[in-house]
Amino acid sequence: MLDQGKSSHFDHLVALEKGEINRAIFSDPDIYQRELKQIFARCWLFLGHRSQLPNENDFIATYMGEDPVIVTRQPGGKIGAFLNMCRHRGNRVCRADSGNQRTFTCPFHGWTYGNNGELKVVPGHTQVYHEELDMEAHGLIPVARIDDYKGMIFATFDKNAPALDEYLGDMAWYLDMALDRREGGIEFLPGVHKWRIKCNWKFPVDNFAGDSYHGPVSHGSAWESGFEGMPRRKKGYGYEGFQINAGNGHGFGARWAENEKQVYEMALPEFLDYEKARFPETRARLGDLRGMHLSPMHCSIFPNFSMLWQSGNMRVWHPRGVGETEGWSWCFVDQKASPEHRDLVRIHDLQRHGTSGTWEQDDVDNWVQSTMSSRGYVGRQVMQNLSMGINHEIEDPKSIHPDMRGRIAGFQNEINQRSLYGQWAHMMDGNGPAVPGTNA
Amino acid sequence: MSLDAIARSEMETWFSVSQFYSREARYLDELEFDKWVGLMAEDVRYWMPIVSNKIGRDVGSELTVRGELAHFEDNHESLSNRVRRLATGRAWAETPPGRTNHLISNVEIGEVEGDLVNVRSQFLIYRSHLETDQEIFSGTRLDKLRPDAITGWKIVDRTIILDHAVLTQKSLGIFF
Repeated sequence: MLDQGKSSHFDHLVALEKGEINRAIFSDPDIYQRELKQIFARCWLFLGHRSQLPNENDFIATYMGEDPVIVTRQPGGKIGAFLNMCRHRGNRVCRADSGNQRTFTCPFHGWTYGNNGELKVVPGHTQVYHEELDMEAHGLIPVARIDDYKGMIFATFDKNAPALDEYLGDMAWYLDMALDRREGGIEFLPGVHKWRIKCNWKFPVDNFAGDSYHGPVSHGSAWESGFEGMPRRKKGYGYEGFQINAGNGHGFGARWAENEKQVYEMALPEFLDYEKARFPETRARLGDLRGMHLSPMHCSIFPNFSMLWQSGNMRVWHPRGVGETEGWSWCFVDQKASPEHRDLVRIHDLQRHGTSGTWEQDDVDNWVQSTMSSRGYVGRQVMQNLSMGINHEIEDPKSIHPDMRGRIAGFQNEINQRSLYGQWAHMMDGNGPAVPGTNA
Repeated sequence: MSLDAIARSEMETWFSVSQFYSREARYLDELEFDKWVGLMAEDVRYWMPIVSNKIGRDVGSELTVRGELAHFEDNHESLSNRVRRLATGRAWAETPPGRTNHLISNVEIGEVEGDLVNVRSQFLIYRSHLETDQEIFSGTRLDKLRPDAITGWKIVDRTIILDHAVLTQKSLGIFF
């Protein structure tokens, strides 16, 4: 079945013209192993934010796919990332989640590395290795490329990957709505929720990319109980907005405000004073489309970064086998935000999202159920449906606003999910570049 | 007060608090969440910081502090809202509800501060959900309790220190 027809193996699993995908992609262990190679070892992956590494010798530990990495700020300020794996027996050289260290010593035999990856000490280098071990050739394995966009650190293990700017494409310009709406940008609050979910990693990415459809049903209980996510629908325009696809599998959903008054009507009530205070600065920095008309809600950047703009929430979905995902969820605030506003954002975020989130808990159970149903032989023959609004994209995005970039559709449309799985198939298929149409 | 009277008074406090914790655990295990919220003082602070792995000179700073991200940071209103959510019948993560056993142990009466008594206790909570989902939560609670004429005690401040750095539970939908 998988090899029939002219279409390639993975195109066959993703029939975008019909808005259908084969559910084997959520349960087949062979497909998962190929994802680790074709997607997680080739795409730009989010590692963290510069505000997590304020001082020389600070480090954070994270993952790229299932590979543990250490992100370090070296003397002089350079940020690097390395496999958290000793070159001798492969042990982790760092068992802390974050800290400040110049060197990392493997707890097994004591090989010691600088935070620039250099192998500095091998016990018995003279006596037992007879000085024959090439120290220079046995540093920690560095990522192929590391870069940051306005404080957001990304890296890739593919030396042929396109530049980060090219990879993010128009998404970078839209990300400014979070990263550059005020002077000084954003910072992460200390602390990260980390938890294991028995779901395939693509379900949460799909959900954050473009599923504005599930809100009223999945989150009705939270909404009714005082955990509103946004002001209730206002007659006439409340659900007006767009799913915006920035290409390369990246997309987000935003509501549309015609004018400044509507910006405030859509603001969360507890944030209103702050929104009014920061609005003129944002509009001056970003212009009318990004500074006023678009109120972004949800977003995913291929393959496994997501955010909730209004709630000050960013996260990564680390794959942990075909049927398990580790969510990491951070809270971010404008660097210039007052202490009072920081408290409001933090409490809003953690009461809705992450481990105890009154919204997130119900999402998690949905993703677990979707994953389970892709395991049964009969159930996984039934194609997953992503057809919403398939022939109803807005033909000329510039007719909505001359500055608009990317492809767009109405707020309730699965355009972003189709793009996500299209990019997935593109990456899985062969060895083409992560940005379709460019040269590797 | 004689030594005997002091000892008797400590025992009475320990007995009373232990009984209070057993009753609180039963309310949670029997899904009597309104009664559970009724044990909270109006000015309650209910907080679960995040633990992470630290080494070297950072040992001792494993927990996030006030003002940083936490797993829970609730007051009376938001705890009541969490309970209201469960009662909607559409809180899907608890529909049908999980089955829990809250085991509260190692109850240690600490210092008295004004009308508050500090109490440290430890918990082991087992949760079974749907068919075979199983979760175990272990950790420590640091409480400040105020005597109350009706409920015996009210919880004024509760810090919950969960042992897990990466939670193996699919979410924190229960109370501690």
